[in-house]
Amino acid sequence: MPDKVILKVKEMETYIGQYHILQGINLEVHEGYVTVLIGRNGAGKTTTLRSIIGLTPPSKGSVEFNGEMIHGLPPYAIARKGMALVPEDQGIFSQLTVEENFKIAMYKEDKQTLDRKDWILDIFPDLKPKLKLKAGSLSGGQKQMLSISRALVNNSKLLLIDEPSKGLAPIMVETLANAIKQIKDHTTVVLVEQNFWLASEVGERYYIIDDGQTVQEGVMADLIQDKVLQKRYLGIGTKE
Amino acid sequence: MDIFVNLTIAGLSTGMMYYLLSSGLSLIYGLMGVLNFAHGSVFMYGAYAGVLVFGLTGSFTFGIIAAIVVGAIVGYTMERLVISRVYGQHLAQILLTTGLMLVLNELIKIPFGSNILPAFQPEALQSSWQIGEIVIVKYRIFLIIIGLVVATILNAVMAKTKLGMTVRAGVQNPEMVQVLGINIKKVFSFVFILGSALSALGGILMAPALGAINPEIGLMYQMTGFMVVVIGGMGSLTGTLFSSLLVGLASSYTAYVYPDAATAVIVIVMIVVLLIKPSGLFGKGAE
Amino acid sequence: MQQIKTVAPSVRKSLMNNWMLQIIIVVILAVIPFITGRPTQNMLILIFCMSVFAMSYDILLGYTGVISFGHAMFFGIGAYGISIYLANAKATMGNILLATLIALAVSMIISVFIGFLSLRVKNTYYAMITLAFAQVGVILAEKARHITNGYDGMTFRVSSVLMNKMLFYYIALGFLVLSFIFMWKFTTSPTGRVLVAIRENEQRAKFIGFNTLRYKIISTVVAGAMASLAGSMYAIHMRFVSTSVLGVAKTIDALLATVIGGMGNLYGAILGTGIVNFAGEYLSKLAKVHPIFERWYIIFGLLYILIVLFAPQGVIGLIKKITNKIAAKSVKR
Repeated sequence: MPDKVILKVKEMETYIGQYHILQGINLEVHEGYVTVLIGRNGAGKTTTLRSIIGLTPPSKGSVEFNGEMIHGLPPYAIARKGMALVPEDQGIFSQLTVEENFKIAMYKEDKQTLDRKDWILDIFPDLKPKLKLKAGSLSGGQKQMLSISRALVNNSKLLLIDEPSKGLAPIMVETLANAIKQIKDHTTVVLVEQNFWLASEVGERYYIIDDGQTVQEGVMADLIQDKVLQKRYLGIGTKE
Repeated sequence: MDIFVNLTIAGLSTGMMYYLLSSGLSLIYGLMGVLNFAHGSVFMYGAYAGVLVFGLTGSFTFGIIAAIVVGAIVGYTMERLVISRVYGQHLAQILLTTGLMLVLNELIKIPFGSNILPAFQPEALQSSWQIGEIVIVKYRIFLIIIGLVVATILNAVMAKTKLGMTVRAGVQNPEMVQVLGINIKKVFSFVFILGSALSALGGILMAPALGAINPEIGLMYQMTGFMVVVIGGMGSLTGTLFSSLLVGLASSYTAYVYPDAATAVIVIVMIVVLLIKPSGLFGKGAE
Repeated sequence: MQQIKTVAPSVRKSLMNNWMLQIIIVVILAVIPFITGRPTQNMLILIFCMSVFAMSYDILLGYTGVISFGHAMFFGIGAYGISIYLANAKATMGNILLATLIALAVSMIISVFIGFLSLRVKNTYYAMITLAFAQVGVILAEKARHITNGYDGMTFRVSSVLMNKMLFYYIALGFLVLSFIFMWKFTTSPTGRVLVAIRENEQRAKFIGFNTLRYKIISTVVAGAMASLAGSMYAIHMRFVSTSVLGVAKTIDALLATVIGGMGNLYGAILGTGIVNFAGEYLSKLAKVHPIFERWYIIFGLLYILIVLFAPQGVIGLIKKITNKIAAKSVKR
């Protein structure tokens, strides 16, 4: 059975100020899989996610989501079509309570949404006792969990997650990996990740981004074997 | 003792008016980063609209309603027509709102001239209570009550409603609010309307306390409004309330001892706050 | 230290490097007193003084990217320095010079203080805090009635040499030219280039390693000093100073002139001052024809808003566009 392509990015280019950050990004994200974007620092991974959801609108190219052209739409409109972003800095509203962080994200407060929230809280049980607390009081790992939970609350079709492992203790990264494995049965995930362990643990397909361009794609299992490719684009193995 | 009580009541009532004026200023800056130099003009328009309608109908309530409506309309028009074009450009925002201030301040002179327009208190509130030595002016109490009611409602809206939640979230991270599927421009318009309506309400309520209004009161009160939000911390309603009352009381007491120094005292308080905690008493730490 | 390359506005290159044009303008201005009457001369002297004030404002607005609502305070310090000193001392040239220098020093000290206080928070704070200080300045001048005579203003004598308006015209013209050269040198100096870099992107300038606060304060000090000198010249010309020289309205005059003329190139400030003064004079005369013209300030306000929205380079920018088009056409031929 052929997979459905839920997100198709063609020749996307983006400027930030005078800098030509993205110079040709091509992606095909298949529904139901975890696609990992990897590449060096500053390669343009974060900007790719931001351009897809419209925060840094692309100047050229096209973005097709679920059969609709969405480039040029404002971020809120893209989000409403069923896309969610977990940004690098988590984007938690620290002045709001954990509960309010959920509430502000909910499009509707119907039974479905509330059930989904319960399901999310089962994945991240740490958040349960903290609901009434200010989100600013959470630990780094809990903030990451909240950010992912919040993005899931609307049954989005596509979840963009930007470097969730950043600054987390190894044990938290493992928790995160388990969580993403549970999530991927419900939604498609695009994951930007520098932590190769996490990327290989949850990723099924991969794209390598280098100097603002997609240079390589394939099945994660192949990349795990391919030490040459890893060394060339990811700098893995150079230290050892 | 009687003097102290009277000065305190006067200070609190003036402080409440500063709050009505400054809360919009603070919210608009906190959420959108717009320093609105036409905010005082809306205050002044509220005063004119209210005084005019009160004079025509004899009903102070109608005057208040007229002020709020005019304030909301002026605020919305400014935001849609001019300010929404330059979100994110701080320099252009100040330049444009200054231009709006100039135009609004001149426009009001076409029908009303630049002379003063007398403003009266509603009859029911003209008298005062006497308790022993202490004379309490009813209108001052009225102002304090209205201020408290507005502050309570505003806090409830901010704390309980989804809109309030969105505003609080937007003050911290407007980009993320958009990513969550909320059209922040609509929130911007709402806050602009709300802030302008509050400012205009402050204008009509302040007018009878002043006894007369003129086109200059806009800039005059705006300046105090700026100092209030600098002291209290931009974007914090609690800070604005605290700072408004502080400034109101400080100028009331000083005005009794040495009238000429009232403004100077506020400036000195502001300087001290800026030196010790540049983001304001209730402001977020580092920016 | 790393050199910052700034993209000089294209306006600067063609028009501004054209020294011939500048010399022609100065020559024309030098001849004017022989062919016009006293009122025009007086008007021009005023425009010269106010142009220096507007140029000093442009250093803040156009080159550094901060807006002041209290710039008139420095102008007022310069003006009151002269008036208060000369009201109490002999009007010798030495005293006039001394008064000017004292006012200059006071202005510089105050501008360092205000700059430090507000600019370390945010640029927008400068706008609010200068407004507050300006208001305090006006109140102080009002309350010190016994010295300043408040809103009614004070008159004083200057030395007889300076009473000769023909001579003073050339002094004022010389003042304008020298001020221009000084500020031009300042804005094109390494410091000036850093200021432009800060205006363009403060984060980046900081990142490269510039202490941006220090540079911004330098900018406010230079602007404050020039405004103070302009105020002193103004006072010598008018032989009358009232609290209106300190008020927000005076600052807004400079703001209007700079924006309408075109910010960030000093020329715009001069051109804008000319436009605002002549047009203001003309329009207020029309008030006799129809009372609607009493509100001529609205026209400036609207013009100003339109320029900020649609022609941020101001009139200078528009002239540049037109001359470019003409030049392009003649090339085609």
